[in-house]
Amino acid sequence: MEKQVVIEVKNMCKNFGPTKALKNVDVKFYTGEIRGLVGENGSGKSTITSIISGMQKASSGEMFYHGQPWSPSTMVEAQEKGISMVLQEANTIPGCTVAENIFAGRFDEFTRFGIINMKRVTQEAQKMLDSFGISHIRAEDNINKYGFEDRKLIEIVRCVSDDTQVFVVDETTTALSLDGRKILYRLIHKLKDEGKTVIFISHDMDEILEQCTDLTVLRDGEIIGHLNREEMDQKDAEKRIRFMMVGREIGEAYYRDDYDTSHQQEVALELEHVSCGNIQDFSLQLHKGEIIGFGGLSGCGMHEVGRAAFGLEKLSSGRVVRNGKEIKSCYEAINSGIGYISKNRDTEALILEASIGENIVMPSIPALSHATFISPKAEKKLADKEIESFRIKCNSEKQWVNTLSGGNKQKVSFAKWTAKGSDVIIMDCPTRGVDIGVKQSMYALIAQMKKEGKAILLISEEMAELIGMADKIIIMKDFKVSGEFMRSETLSENDMIEYVI
Amino acid sequence: MNETTKAPGIFSREFLAKHVYDIAAYAGLIVTFILFLVFSGSRLSYNLGTVLQSAATYSIIALGAVFVYSMGYMDVSVGQQVGVYAILLIMITNKLGGGTFGVVVGFLAILALALVCGAFNGAVAVWLKLPSIVTSLFLMFFFTGAQLLLMESTGTNSISMQATIKPANRSTYNLVLVICIAAVAILVTYFFKYTKLGKYTRGIGANELATAQSGVATTRYKVLAYMAFGVCVAIGTFVMLMRTGSAGKGTGSGYAMDIMICLILGGMPLSGGMKSKVSSALIGTFTYVLLTNDLTTMGVDLNMINFVKAVIFLAIVLVTCRKKDGVLPR
Repeated sequence: MEKQVVIEVKNMCKNFGPTKALKNVDVKFYTGEIRGLVGENGSGKSTITSIISGMQKASSGEMFYHGQPWSPSTMVEAQEKGISMVLQEANTIPGCTVAENIFAGRFDEFTRFGIINMKRVTQEAQKMLDSFGISHIRAEDNINKYGFEDRKLIEIVRCVSDDTQVFVVDETTTALSLDGRKILYRLIHKLKDEGKTVIFISHDMDEILEQCTDLTVLRDGEIIGHLNREEMDQKDAEKRIRFMMVGREIGEAYYRDDYDTSHQQEVALELEHVSCGNIQDFSLQLHKGEIIGFGGLSGCGMHEVGRAAFGLEKLSSGRVVRNGKEIKSCYEAINSGIGYISKNRDTEALILEASIGENIVMPSIPALSHATFISPKAEKKLADKEIESFRIKCNSEKQWVNTLSGGNKQKVSFAKWTAKGSDVIIMDCPTRGVDIGVKQSMYALIAQMKKEGKAILLISEEMAELIGMADKIIIMKDFKVSGEFMRSETLSENDMIEYVI
Repeated sequence: MNETTKAPGIFSREFLAKHVYDIAAYAGLIVTFILFLVFSGSRLSYNLGTVLQSAATYSIIALGAVFVYSMGYMDVSVGQQVGVYAILLIMITNKLGGGTFGVVVGFLAILALALVCGAFNGAVAVWLKLPSIVTSLFLMFFFTGAQLLLMESTGTNSISMQATIKPANRSTYNLVLVICIAAVAILVTYFFKYTKLGKYTRGIGANELATAQSGVATTRYKVLAYMAFGVCVAIGTFVMLMRTGSAGKGTGSGYAMDIMICLILGGMPLSGGMKSKVSSALIGTFTYVLLTNDLTTMGVDLNMINFVKAVIFLAIVLVTCRKKDGVLPR
């Protein structure tokens, strides 16, 4: 099939205040391709796709869709014309049924004399779900019944129809398990075979290399280059792409390079026979200078362990102890020097509608307060120091966090606890949605923290990360510990996988 | 910190978009003030005094309300609180012989009561996990009843204070008012901008969960915010009594809504958060009082004033409450 241009972007610029998110971008998307977009956080991937799909407007430049000038004013308009997008964040309407979510905004099709035929809505919705191979989701159910992952699938069902010409997947796969991913992969390949266009954004390099037919690399709001399938199949492709993304050699140092699992004798944090929710009688000792990794599937209970250790869960029995004192609330946890990087970055870890500075300084306010007075100068100094050392991409500490890209947001939630000088840090999926450049610096930071004698609880869904960073890895399954591994050169994912599933 | 260009100019679209709240609020104040100058004519200085006197109580209470509104909360009980406090202050003063001693004791009594009510308002809302407007509704009904009972017990429609707390000289009186407003404004600004209280209440308004997970005892600061509000309500009541010298069944009614309107006119976002400002209280109150004054001096029928206010209010809310940030929607 001859490839035709579906979307052409010409000389597009997008500014957020003084920040230039896109700089004179020219790019074409063709029929029958799965085009990967890769780049570090803040390189402009999501900005391009959100403009194409009508979520926001470009500051300048032109777009053409099937050769006609294209300037959608809303996402609904774009979707009606065949351009759909699924996002990183949840985008379903809580409290409604699955069917209502799928047909939201399209009830007119089922309405006669002002009355909606809900039975038909539900039937049609179920047909659609079945055709995507996700029959375990029932159209008549309340959507609240389903977890994040299923809701993402429902969103996908909602956006993709026979009329879809261009389908944008913006970092959706991070939310999906293996099964969910397979459904999505099947779908995008089917679309490609039908001569449609898929734009695929992901941080997972393996996934990109496996699924995409073409690849475009961005850096700092500019297109750096394109790779076709042949180039992607070459041996050094991954290295080459990383170089294009970062603009410099990443080097070999990525994870920790030492295999020194020693730590101090002093216990920094202890969970004594803790029971909460589905977790029964869980005990753990975390020492100074030790990194304990927690791995497993998302619902295995490892996130709850992190929350309990930070005093966020009500314990039915047992206790969390630090320095001989029991921790009963996150307030006590923070005062005793525990920091927590939540998995739910945008709702729990950060105040989006506040400045970078305000977010970084928040936990340190009691220390900055002298006889009630908090000096704005001291606040700025502390914030600037962290912005500098994390190289957070921003204009000043006054910039709002909701203007930052995912990776930079994550840096801010790290910075809160380094600013505070916490000695125990619980990290729940700290590198989720973060690109390799940022990951590398975070891993270096974690290794540095270990050397400084800080105690770290690293909860992660990425096995490679745990193998690369932790002194001891605890695998959980069904709210119980299913395996324990010590750091070693020979440890591989295969050794652990049977304990996970 | 690369990829930066110079800060946007004052007339750039970004600047306007970012400061739309402030611009609308200041524009409102300036327009009402110009109208005020035009219509006052030769009675300007006298009218200025009148505006100051009517704005004093509102601005002091609104300043205190900044703490509550910055959390995204509201209070509808403040009018009835003012009524009861005013009556109590008068009764205590009169009982103690109508001297300065009586006034001081009376004031301390209502201050204590205001603090208790503030703590109640904040704490009960947290404990019962109710929206704070519900507890303040409870307080509103409670105080309405108390106000009626207190007045019934006196057997009159209005009671007057035997002590004189209003300076006899009009210019001294105005000066006292300016000092009161300035003192409260400075204190509120200090606590709101430079201490934990203000930083935490704004944090609670912007994202309570994230604020709590940053080590803030949110319950404590909710209670403290309501108590700070209570202090301002007590001072505001005193300032009001300076002017009226008496109180009755209707004293304070409508204040809660007026305060809310003042804050909105001053650019306070109803959802609270980091954009909350102390200046909203002052700008808003003076805009509101000047507006009322303008409409009267312009010869608008008293019965029509509320309609005109309604239209202006709607217009300002439409301008300020639109999302205009160049930020990715969430």
